[in-house]
Amino acid sequence: MNDESDRRQDGAADVAFEPRITAFVCNWCTYTGADLAGTSRLHMASNVRIIRLPCTGRIDPLFIIKAFERGADGVIVSGCHPADCHYTSGNYHARRRFAVFHDLMEFIGVDPRRMTFSWVSASEGAKWRDVVDEAVRSVRELGPYDAYRALAPVGDREI
Amino acid sequence: MTSADPTRGTYFITEDDLRALTGELLGAGTEVIAPVALDVCASPSAIASSACLRPGVKPIDIEYRALESAAQLNLGSGLPVLSLKQYFLPEYEALCCWRQHGTEIEIEAVPTEFAPRVVLAAKPCDSAALAVVDKVMNWDYADELWNGRREATTIVNLACPVVDESCFCTAVGTAPDDAKGADALLTPVEGGFLMEATTDKGRALVEAHAARFTAEEGAGGAGARGRQAAEERAAARARAAANLEIDAASVRDWIDTHFEDPLLAALGVRCNGCGACSSVCPTCHCFDIVDEEEGIGKGTRRRCWDTCQAPTFTLHASGHNPRDSQNPRYRQRINHKFAIYPLKFGEVLCTGCGRCTRVCHAGQDLVEILQAIDIAARRREAVSP
Amino acid sequence: MSDTVTTEVPVYAGVAELRRIARELLDAGDVRVIIGWEHARRGARPVFITDAADADRLIFDARCVHNLVTYLNPRRDNVAELGKIGLVVKGCDAKAVAGLLREAQLTRDDVVLIGVRCGGVLEEAELPRAAPLGPENVAPRCFGCDNREPELVDHLLGESQPEPPRPLTTIDERVAALDAQPLEKRWAFWTEQFGRCVRCYACRQVCPLCVCERCVAEKSRPQWIEASPHPRGNLSWNITRALHLAGRCVDCGECERFCPVGIPLSLVNRKLQQIVAERYDYAVSDDPEHAAPIGDYRLDDKQEFIK
Repeated sequence: MNDESDRRQDGAADVAFEPRITAFVCNWCTYTGADLAGTSRLHMASNVRIIRLPCTGRIDPLFIIKAFERGADGVIVSGCHPADCHYTSGNYHARRRFAVFHDLMEFIGVDPRRMTFSWVSASEGAKWRDVVDEAVRSVRELGPYDAYRALAPVGDREI
Repeated sequence: MTSADPTRGTYFITEDDLRALTGELLGAGTEVIAPVALDVCASPSAIASSACLRPGVKPIDIEYRALESAAQLNLGSGLPVLSLKQYFLPEYEALCCWRQHGTEIEIEAVPTEFAPRVVLAAKPCDSAALAVVDKVMNWDYADELWNGRREATTIVNLACPVVDESCFCTAVGTAPDDAKGADALLTPVEGGFLMEATTDKGRALVEAHAARFTAEEGAGGAGARGRQAAEERAAARARAAANLEIDAASVRDWIDTHFEDPLLAALGVRCNGCGACSSVCPTCHCFDIVDEEEGIGKGTRRRCWDTCQAPTFTLHASGHNPRDSQNPRYRQRINHKFAIYPLKFGEVLCTGCGRCTRVCHAGQDLVEILQAIDIAARRREAVSP
Repeated sequence: MSDTVTTEVPVYAGVAELRRIARELLDAGDVRVIIGWEHARRGARPVFITDAADADRLIFDARCVHNLVTYLNPRRDNVAELGKIGLVVKGCDAKAVAGLLREAQLTRDDVVLIGVRCGGVLEEAELPRAAPLGPENVAPRCFGCDNREPELVDHLLGESQPEPPRPLTTIDERVAALDAQPLEKRWAFWTEQFGRCVRCYACRQVCPLCVCERCVAEKSRPQWIEASPHPRGNLSWNITRALHLAGRCVDCGECERFCPVGIPLSLVNRKLQQIVAERYDYAVSDDPEHAAPIGDYRLDDKQEFIK
């Protein structure tokens, strides 16, 4: 996250908090659904950056950790509904993996409201808008994820 | 009572005065690092320890910490979990930061000068380790970060009564009352401590706090307190010597000439290769250099502790690994400490603190290994003239 | 009555049998090495017996806490080159063997398993002699053990053992105490704990089921887990380690015992056991046919956390 808009967000404490949310979505359903939301000109929060992956089965929990490490205030993971996976069972595997990850992160002390999991199909542009708006709203309530940023190494300096 | 004359050798200081001196240093903003007794059960992690629920003695961890108050200074005999190494070669530290602007790269170096600080009540095995590692840190390249911290630090040792049966400092050329690598030595005596300043930095510390010290009667420790100190120190040396006695020179030569000997070649069979021994070792100084990116186009280059017990330590980019199993990796640990380093720098890369043995739950026991090598070396000397 | 009488521990009846079987296996050439425990200068520790004449060095008592299955790990070239292994296993250890079989890291014929009936072990192995088990010294993981007489073995030794005593606090109670804390308190607890990690990877090295040829923590292109031991990289590493053991961990406790800075890894491991038990009705066993929950799925898995 190195562009100027990010830097402005970092520096300007007096500006209202705008959550940064990273979305990991599958190519076949949610990405297409998000595309539909766009082409349908649905209004939604603009805080989400989408990372497109072939399948939710490709999304390693480390992606989510990495997003938090790099300054995300929240994440969204979204893919095909059960029985709709382009690869038959990728989302079923992902469902177990993220269930365990979700519960573990809650045990570690990560607020589950910072992690949104959803099924959004290619035809559900409106659902995608709702998922995004809801994620942005709840992360906005929680505020910036300073607790995670406080883990940064000592001696780190911005140049 | 005369106050201290720092041109003379030995002084006396009461525990109250030592704490007052500590308070003066802290008050002046000087960082003071010293053993601190951490009440394991008072921290949130107490929930993790069934030992905290047990009746009787509660577990206490001794750690070197930057003091917040003079009262924290622990003058007991416990061995800190990690050695003093962490204050000279931290577990990780930044070497530089970078940011890329198109094809240009901006680099910011880290400072290599450090504010003066004082270490109090250091274990003699820990300060001696710094002196041993000084050699490699100034061999073909002078390590500015190491040297900067060394120069900025005044170390005052506290003579050690010997911790347990895994201590063997006297077998590797140091002693429980050594001031090697340090600037002064405290020895507990009736009513306080005798303090010997052994370097200019040590003398400067005494001079700066001269009112806290009294010159010790009787030159060369001939007074009553001096005799008491000498007796205690001799007894501690004897305790360490009873744990292990080896001839370090013949051990060195034997290892150097017996690379393939079964004794050395099969040492690593029960070793898990975890490298916890390297982490707690006061002399293990190998580090890895890693670039850690903060997103795209910027990041920090850091060095962090590494261990020869990990396969990746010697893994080549080609995929070949010259030390491809735990046996050669463990042999390397012994070889480097007791042959390679002494042959190159004239000193054993070990100060006998015994931490590696205590930390190893697989039962790798350096005392036992050195004993076995010593026996093999003596046997060889007995047969060859 | 003197103290020595009250603290005397009865000799484990299976030891003589253990030594005899070890001798026979080595003499017959059925195995080339027996991996068990011995008494050494600092207490009990793993031993590798390759000569039948040394079989009397083998011991078994409550100090034999080590999970020796870590030596079956296919990464261990220097152990594999000793030849076919005869391994002494407790019930928890046998579960780890099942894990390796389940994941095709081992075939059953590769190893002769000598099972010992176990009534629980001590928290530490580094003791001059075994002490009687009590609430204050028993390894907390032993409480409620469901595999005191392993089935996945070729020989089963010793007499039936009593149930291990209840520890002063059970691991479940400690996990529940954490669960009862607010999120911020749990975050403070775990970031403090993981903050102490020196990234020696002892937890990984000793784990019988950490079998990756190249650990994700060692990958630098891309670098998923920051290598230096700062709190951020440490959190990433510790979450990843725990998650990779979800539904696989046999609760042998070796990761926690080997941790040089004392991070209570058993609490994370136990939490994951609870998660897979609650969500997928899964408990790890020494039956290699019993598929692990991660890598498997059911069409009707719970998905209450998904919108």
